Amino acid sequence: MNNLLAFSGDAFVAAFFLYCFGFIFYVIAVAGRRWSNRDPQQHLKRWGRIAFVVSTLGLAAHLTFFFTRWIGASHIPTSNMYEFMSFLGMAIMIAFTVIFAIYRTTLLGMFALPLTIIIITYAAVFPQEVQPLIPALDSIWLYIHVTTAALGEAFFAVGFAAGLMYLLRVIDFKDRSKGARRQQRWAEFSLYVIVVVVAFIVTVFAFRGADYQAEFLQETLSIDNRGQEVTSSDTVEYNMPPIVKPYNSDVVQMDSFLGMTQPLLETPSWMEGVDAARKLNTVLWSIITGSLLYGLLRLVLRRPLGAALHPLMEGIDPDDLDEITYRSIAIGFPIFTLGALIFAMIWAEIAWSRFWGWDPKEVWALITWLYYSAYLHLRLSRGWQGQRSAWLAVIGFVVVMFTLIGVNLVIAGLHSYAGV
Amino acid sequence: MFQNTKCECGHQNHVGTVLCESCGKPLMQETLVTDEPLEMRYDGVARRSQKANPNLIDRIWNFFSSVKIAVYLIVITFVGASLGTIYPQESTFISGDFSTYYEDNYGTPGKIYQALGLSHTYESWWFITLLVMIGTSLVICSLDRVLPLYRALKKQQIRKHLSFIKRQRVAYEAVVDQPGAFVDRLAEQLKRKRYRVHKDKDGLALLAEKNRFSRWGPYINHIGLIVFLLAVLARGVPAWHMDSYITAPHGEAVPIPDTNYYLKNEQFTVDYYADDELPEALKGTMRAKKYETQAVLYACTASCDDPAAEPELTELKRHDILVNHPLEYEGMSIYQFDFDDTPKLKAVRPVLVDKQTGERYGPFELSMTEPETSYALGPYTLELRQQFMEFAIGDDGNPTTLSREPNAPAFFFLLKGPGLDEAGETYLYFPREVDKLRFSQDRINGDIADRFEIIVGTMENVELTEPTSFLNVRVDKAMPYVWVGAGISMLGLVLGFYWQHRRVWLRFDADRLSLGAHTNKNWYGMRGDVASAMQHAGITVEPKSLDNGGKNL
Repeated sequence: MNNLLAFSGDAFVAAFFLYCFGFIFYVIAVAGRRWSNRDPQQHLKRWGRIAFVVSTLGLAAHLTFFFTRWIGASHIPTSNMYEFMSFLGMAIMIAFTVIFAIYRTTLLGMFALPLTIIIITYAAVFPQEVQPLIPALDSIWLYIHVTTAALGEAFFAVGFAAGLMYLLRVIDFKDRSKGARRQQRWAEFSLYVIVVVVAFIVTVFAFRGADYQAEFLQETLSIDNRGQEVTSSDTVEYNMPPIVKPYNSDVVQMDSFLGMTQPLLETPSWMEGVDAARKLNTVLWSIITGSLLYGLLRLVLRRPLGAALHPLMEGIDPDDLDEITYRSIAIGFPIFTLGALIFAMIWAEIAWSRFWGWDPKEVWALITWLYYSAYLHLRLSRGWQGQRSAWLAVIGFVVVMFTLIGVNLVIAGLHSYAGV
Repeated sequence: MFQNTKCECGHQNHVGTVLCESCGKPLMQETLVTDEPLEMRYDGVARRSQKANPNLIDRIWNFFSSVKIAVYLIVITFVGASLGTIYPQESTFISGDFSTYYEDNYGTPGKIYQALGLSHTYESWWFITLLVMIGTSLVICSLDRVLPLYRALKKQQIRKHLSFIKRQRVAYEAVVDQPGAFVDRLAEQLKRKRYRVHKDKDGLALLAEKNRFSRWGPYINHIGLIVFLLAVLARGVPAWHMDSYITAPHGEAVPIPDTNYYLKNEQFTVDYYADDELPEALKGTMRAKKYETQAVLYACTASCDDPAAEPELTELKRHDILVNHPLEYEGMSIYQFDFDDTPKLKAVRPVLVDKQTGERYGPFELSMTEPETSYALGPYTLELRQQFMEFAIGDDGNPTTLSREPNAPAFFFLLKGPGLDEAGETYLYFPREVDKLRFSQDRINGDIADRFEIIVGTMENVELTEPTSFLNVRVDKAMPYVWVGAGISMLGLVLGFYWQHRRVWLRFDADRLSLGAHTNKNWYGMRGDVASAMQHAGITVEPKSLDNGGKNL
């Protein structure tokens, strides 16, 4: 069994590298069109095919990971954050393949693949061991609900990728008018956020590689249900140098980092929970390293990222991108409804004795659903298309990601077992 | 506004008609001045809400029939719903006092949160009003559109007005030899693509249509949502809904409130994962693998409400209740909710020891929950004066109990007998050794502690409770309707999103071919269908070149 799990882990790494190569080949396919001594269409076609084959091999490796882990753990690997996020990455590849089969737009891969890569590396931030199921998860609905919900969300993710491409394609980065500048700023901000997410992952692995550790003892004063004051002390471990230490805590042990031997600041008292300070610290690190990375990219490119990506979009029909955005959301919507709401309600009825309980995760799934139904109504009946529709698709994916990750990290609830 | 609604083809249209219901000629002034592709929404028919002189009811109807209003309602609802996730809702706790909960736990923001009523967002009047308004909007928006649309699609003219065809989003024009033969060839190709093809009498105009049912998808979805919302509202009917929690100690049949059922927990078992089954990070944590209540459901047949008599029970059903496997009986479901397997004292069998003589009296059976009022032990008697389940010294310095669970039981006896005070002497007894030391039993008892002692001795004389199972009993008669609603809604979504209503119109004016096509979604597929059919009928055309511009709905 352990051999199978080890093999499964190798397949995951193989999938990761194949996706990376697939992405590089997509970039070559698109950026290399204007290289000398070649026919641009021929070049795009040839490299587009190579890229698609390589990324499909990546998907095959990813499926191998999934099924071997399933057999090895004897339950479907969708029961914790690592397993779920890597499944989501796989679902995005499946959704991308479906959309690609319909529209044959090579460029879509250049955006869908990095999205998958970011999501599966994010998955690897979480503990990767197989965890035995708790009784609440031990149900056939774990298989049905989680997979269908993730597949629906994956189509929304492809809609996001196409929407972002549409924006980078149509926004005129040379226009200095007020409206155009606002569009440019927001597109740039979206790219900045993506850079911060990448920086977060890089930072986590950098400090993990360096085996950085700091430990604090935090004293918390609380009032128990009998009205007595209780002081509890918790050990908080950091894997990143503490910019902020937990509120009311003492350093137990701290590796020095670039001459920094003491925490710089303290978390404000209203940030509740043992993990709040660590999360804040991680967010601060991500923003700092993300901003550095963004600044570096700006220095190398000597212009905004949006303006640098814009020329790559040339030759692609914006109407097609608009339709792909809409189509992937339209395909995803019924799947999402079925998986994230109806199957979720059926399972909740069986496991928790009520089909709906306004648990934060349930509420956010409903918010996601209402958001996309507003999108569909605006598009179908109010004629919101093009840029407005693309922005809605981009923001929609932020809502999806908050539902999947934000709720678990920020708001606790019944779905907490899916957390870190 | 131009009020003559009679079209040049002779058809009398309703006020508000955009495209003549019969020939498709654009009627609205604003659509006559441009050559832009036509707005084909609802096939250009007048909606019910487009009445000439609206009265009050019409105005309300018009308000709810607006998709713009519907979108506002959706947006306000999801923004409102998100506010309810900031802090835990009151409903997530089974019971409790919330007067200071939010302020104690979240400070001033918590206090404001509660004052705004956000601690019970989803039960608040404004949230329920929003849901009711969405429901109303669903009904009215649908009725407003579906009936006229049905009428328009029911009687379609084959030969459409030229400007109607030319101004479709997918359009094509050419001069073709032998028009009749071309129409036949194209009709054949479209039939192969599963279009239903209608030709007019002279064979020079054509209407091909497929998947009209997909137009009803959104309305079917809306019907499903209405059924769903009504079912959810129906859960408010008291007789339709029951939700109670029962504590089922080992081996005891406990009544299920508001029913004549009893439930017995014959055996509760819990398995934990062994350390070698757990990954490094989880070792040593008590991770439950499986817990189940072997339950028996009874109906009470006689002396149910008589507290003095034992109720007569008839067995109805046996079931092992696990998480994800509730016991179901005639619309009632019993769920495994929680358990308590920390061992607690049930009874002890101590002896009274005369420390000076070493003589032992007893043992006597001391139950934690139902102790006797006095125990006769040889020449001595123990009279129970007071009992504490979880002993503590209160703020006023007097002993008190913190709960009704035997976590730290203590018995306050009056010891009477030879050589003791006439009125008896007080003796405080802690059955648990830890409590004895923690509360310094001997010091509290003073002198008498030197002469007498109550001791249990071996573990054989200690009886511990079996684990207690907590169960949740539910009746929800509206559930079947909830599922039916969800099912209808899902069916509508699938019909509406995975099929598209496609139509192709063609007419010849002498040898001039005009072709237009329309779909409610997926223009890429529509252009593909037309281009491929034309290719096989003898005209090669790039799908993309059929695009006449306009909005990509």
